[in-house]
Amino acid sequence: MSRLEAKKPSLCKSEPLTSEKVRATLCVLKGILTSSYGPSGRLKQVHNGLGGCVCTTSQSSALLSNLPVTHPILKILTTSTKNHVSCFSDCGLFTAILCCNLIENVQRTGLTPTTVIKLNQHLLRLCTNYLKSESCGCRIPVDFSSPQTLLCLVRSIVTSKPACMLTREETDHISALVLKAFLLTIPENTKDRLILGKSIIVPLKGHRVLDSTVFPGILIEVSEVQLMKILPIKKSNAFKVALFCASLSGDLSDTGEGTMVVSSGVSLENAVLEQLLNLGRQLVSDHVDLVMCQKVLHPSLKQFLSMHQVIAIDRVGVALMEPLSKVTGTQPIGSLGSISPSSYGSVKDLCPAKFGFKHFLHLIPNEATICSLLLCNRNDTAWDELKLTCQTALHVLQLTIKEPCVLLGGGCTETHLAAYIRHKISNRRTSAGKNHQLQVPAGKDVHCLSYKKWSIPAPQPMTSCHQPELLWFFSNGLLFKTILLDFLLLQKITLLCFVCWTCLWFC
Amino acid sequence: MVVACVSSHLRRTGDGAKTFIILLCHLLRGLHTVIDKEQDSLISKNIQTHRRHWKNCCQWKFISQALLTFQTQILDYIMDHYLSKHFLTIFSSSTEERTLCRSSLELLLEAYFCGRVGRNNHYFISQLMCNYFFKCMACESGFEEVFDLVDDYFVELNVGVTGLPVSDSRIIAGLVLHRDFSVYCPADGDIRIVIVTETIQPLFSASASEFILNSEAQFQTSQFWIMEKTKAIVKHLQSQNVKLLLSSVKQPDLVTYYAGLNGISVVECLSPEEVSLIQRVMGLSPFILPQASSQYEICNTASVKFCKPLTLRSKRYVHLGLISTCSFVPHCIVLCGPVQGLVEQHEGALHGAFKMLRQLFKDLDLSYMIQTSDQNHTSSPLTYKDSRESNPLPEIVNGLIQRPYQGTVVKNKGNLAKTQTYLKVYSNLVVPSVELETCIPCSTPKVTPTDTYQTNETLRCLAPTKTRTIDDNEPFIESNSANSTAENTGIEISSENLQVTKIAGKGNMLPVREKSLEMCTSQSYCCSTLPAGCVLPVGGNFEILLHYYLLNYTRKCQQSEESVVSMIIANALLGIPQVLYKSKKGKYSFPQIYIRTLHALQTSQPIVSSQKGLESVAGKYQLLTSVLQCLTKILTIDLVINIRRQPREMYDQDSDEEV
Repeated sequence: MSRLEAKKPSLCKSEPLTSEKVRATLCVLKGILTSSYGPSGRLKQVHNGLGGCVCTTSQSSALLSNLPVTHPILKILTTSTKNHVSCFSDCGLFTAILCCNLIENVQRTGLTPTTVIKLNQHLLRLCTNYLKSESCGCRIPVDFSSPQTLLCLVRSIVTSKPACMLTREETDHISALVLKAFLLTIPENTKDRLILGKSIIVPLKGHRVLDSTVFPGILIEVSEVQLMKILPIKKSNAFKVALFCASLSGDLSDTGEGTMVVSSGVSLENAVLEQLLNLGRQLVSDHVDLVMCQKVLHPSLKQFLSMHQVIAIDRVGVALMEPLSKVTGTQPIGSLGSISPSSYGSVKDLCPAKFGFKHFLHLIPNEATICSLLLCNRNDTAWDELKLTCQTALHVLQLTIKEPCVLLGGGCTETHLAAYIRHKISNRRTSAGKNHQLQVPAGKDVHCLSYKKWSIPAPQPMTSCHQPELLWFFSNGLLFKTILLDFLLLQKITLLCFVCWTCLWFC
Repeated sequence: MVVACVSSHLRRTGDGAKTFIILLCHLLRGLHTVIDKEQDSLISKNIQTHRRHWKNCCQWKFISQALLTFQTQILDYIMDHYLSKHFLTIFSSSTEERTLCRSSLELLLEAYFCGRVGRNNHYFISQLMCNYFFKCMACESGFEEVFDLVDDYFVELNVGVTGLPVSDSRIIAGLVLHRDFSVYCPADGDIRIVIVTETIQPLFSASASEFILNSEAQFQTSQFWIMEKTKAIVKHLQSQNVKLLLSSVKQPDLVTYYAGLNGISVVECLSPEEVSLIQRVMGLSPFILPQASSQYEICNTASVKFCKPLTLRSKRYVHLGLISTCSFVPHCIVLCGPVQGLVEQHEGALHGAFKMLRQLFKDLDLSYMIQTSDQNHTSSPLTYKDSRESNPLPEIVNGLIQRPYQGTVVKNKGNLAKTQTYLKVYSNLVVPSVELETCIPCSTPKVTPTDTYQTNETLRCLAPTKTRTIDDNEPFIESNSANSTAENTGIEISSENLQVTKIAGKGNMLPVREKSLEMCTSQSYCCSTLPAGCVLPVGGNFEILLHYYLLNYTRKCQQSEESVVSMIIANALLGIPQVLYKSKKGKYSFPQIYIRTLHALQTSQPIVSSQKGLESVAGKYQLLTSVLQCLTKILTIDLVINIRRQPREMYDQDSDEEV
């Protein structure tokens, strides 16, 4: 029975944004987010009072999904940030902070919501047009022939996640690994469409970060006992592979809706086993060297296969099926009957590997776009954070292929953009008079963020020659962000605000 | 109960929930004041005759009955006779086939989305919808079918994506299925598809049957047979050039394996709605597995243009380029938004808009009673109207009926031929849609009030087929004060009015005939049709017009309860424009607008609206009838009894007894 809850009367509130309570909670949220932003951001530890696992993080995705948000307006804000992050991986905190700032500053100006909506739309168009235009001073095209720009991009993502607990040396190492993993997923010869491969992140906790490595192909974790049985692997120049997606455990397949009457003395299990062994015989006679199954292999079949020097691995799991069929070029087999020879695939080499306390079987492909990133970190929470970081970085790199442009990081772009808007509006004010006066306060507000965030005085309208001077406060050198991320982000933020304001308007 | 009424109204028409509530409130308030007055003073002469009804406790019920009579008779009558001449149409040409005018549709949609979508996205969404509609429409005439289809399968025809800005929403050609391929084999060229509703693989035993196994070998052979059979079916599909298998159930691994081997893509677990949508669009029926023979022809295949995976924000969908056999060209809307809630809001608004349009493009049947037994009575509304216009008509001849016609040309006997040529000129013109807007004000001063002409009904009865075009009628030309300007009016009548006439003429053809026949036998039942696509400018125009004509009707109405009810409704209707113009000041405040409109009506000038948007007349009519229905329901209830549990349904008791 479902739990009964007293029915509450529906609640109608007008102008929700103006209430003091909302302002206070928004302020708290902003405080949490701003304090964890950037390379020198502070970490947040999320845990519940009853114990259990503790999450130490400064990333928006982890933070926002764990925060208990109750107020509808904050819910809109956090969910749209989360949705943005799930689309573009990066810049979640930036989105949320900018949004909070916009709401706060707009309230301070006391403009009507409808004006704010119009102004935001106008300013947004101004920003996106400028960022897309060639004349944009903070835009750099990505040069795919040299790794420098891409490496900087990855570095900026990795350094902005302090919860990974990386030293300078480790940061360099991880950035290089991520870039390498990304490059391994790009196919060598493409026809018309570029289909990127996949990097599989393999966990290895409790080890030094510097032990992390990247391999082409797939690492399948096997137990030591299993590996001992497999060894020694006979040498040949190619291994024939069969990949099963059907269960080979010997259970009966679906028998239909009707009843099945079995005479006494007839053992269906035996019949199925007999069928499995027949399958094994066929595999052996087809000179298959490696049999992998998504589900369970019957012990007798396993025994039979290992007797004939066929390596059998079961319980691969559905997640690995697609990469496996890509690496080996097999078609997952769903039948226990005769197998068509076209379903077999092959790998170039097969070797056992041991990293830390874990044993792996390494499948080395002839030519494939799948690679494994063995990721090490000292403890669980740091590893989780590092994994998220690497996924983010890989996704951002993929996006750069779509839009090969990056923006200067470290607040450069934001300051520059703020100056640009300021400049535009002051021009219009002098020319157009009072009609545009309204835009000035809002224009300031949009970009108060950048000044506040880096706690520097608001800059004078600047030209590109001033830019290098602004960079001194970053120990890490240039930070990069993809242009794609940034301008979609801006759009997003403004949109968000519109959502909030339209709520207000309708109430 | 009110909420239930509103939502059922909304489900049907997709518009007017707020107006519903406002109108209902005003009606109830109006009723209260009337009854209070009645109980206090009892001066009203009309009401006094019915005092005994009102005084006993079923007075509410009495009113509700009066309301019902009003709804079924007076409302339709007024709609048909008076209001219809003010209607504009959404079609842009007066030729035989109706073409949809894009700019009017845009205006209509913009007005619709104005209150439903946030101000920043409202223009974008209405453009998107407009584009979508025009892309989906294969030919000009088939839009009814398009609306029916889109309304019925709206969920299947749009894809919501969160995390992207709203401006990324777009229209995709073809159909997007909300799931991924189970097996995908890239294919091009002639791609044929089949739909199955059951598993291809034969099972050991069907339901309600027994499968007896006597030996292990028998089990193995039967398994082998199943395998071979599956293989054969898939092979056969491949030989028929089938490249895609759509299944409404989950297929066993064996099937997907063999399909993959034979280069057939498989999509499983389609919802019944998706299957029926594909069936309707492509005219494809599910493929039924033959039981016995292995050699057979598969006739239920259809070809698609393409079939490929579509990735929208890390989620994968199946994208099919269906080739349509009906007038609906399949397209899908991809709606983006930062949060799920916003996407849902936009989806709801779009769905509502399609419902509204669906209503708009249906002819609206009106039927009402006219007491023909007394001839003076019959013509009384008309004579009344005319006398008000200080334009006395010639007396009504026996056997002749006089009918106001929507926006018809004023003709003079002498100028008849000339005007007819104008008519023809205009009817051949395909009027550019922009003109539609500009024409309304410019045609204002000269169009004469009595846009009516008398038709010899007896003649019509003799030659009913000739009623179709105006030229074939023998119009009795009124001698009115506008005689001198008749020639001019012929020219200056806006093309807009003319279109309405034409369409109305066509739409009315059948009912008119019916009516005339009935009239001849002096019957009192009358029905007529509002043509599809009638619109009025937004901003309470409909309400003010109806209010005005209702008041006129009341003034000459003898039956007291009718007049009281009409009064109440007329006043309640006025509440809506009052609310609309609440925030406006000066020239656009409500009293100003109201006076201007009334003045325009009295001097019989077309009403100039300050607003550009349009709204559907059919929707408004539906709204009014729904409100009246709801009010009737409310009034018939005299006591609300609170109970703890849900009221028991009848069949519950039955089942209890059975148990």
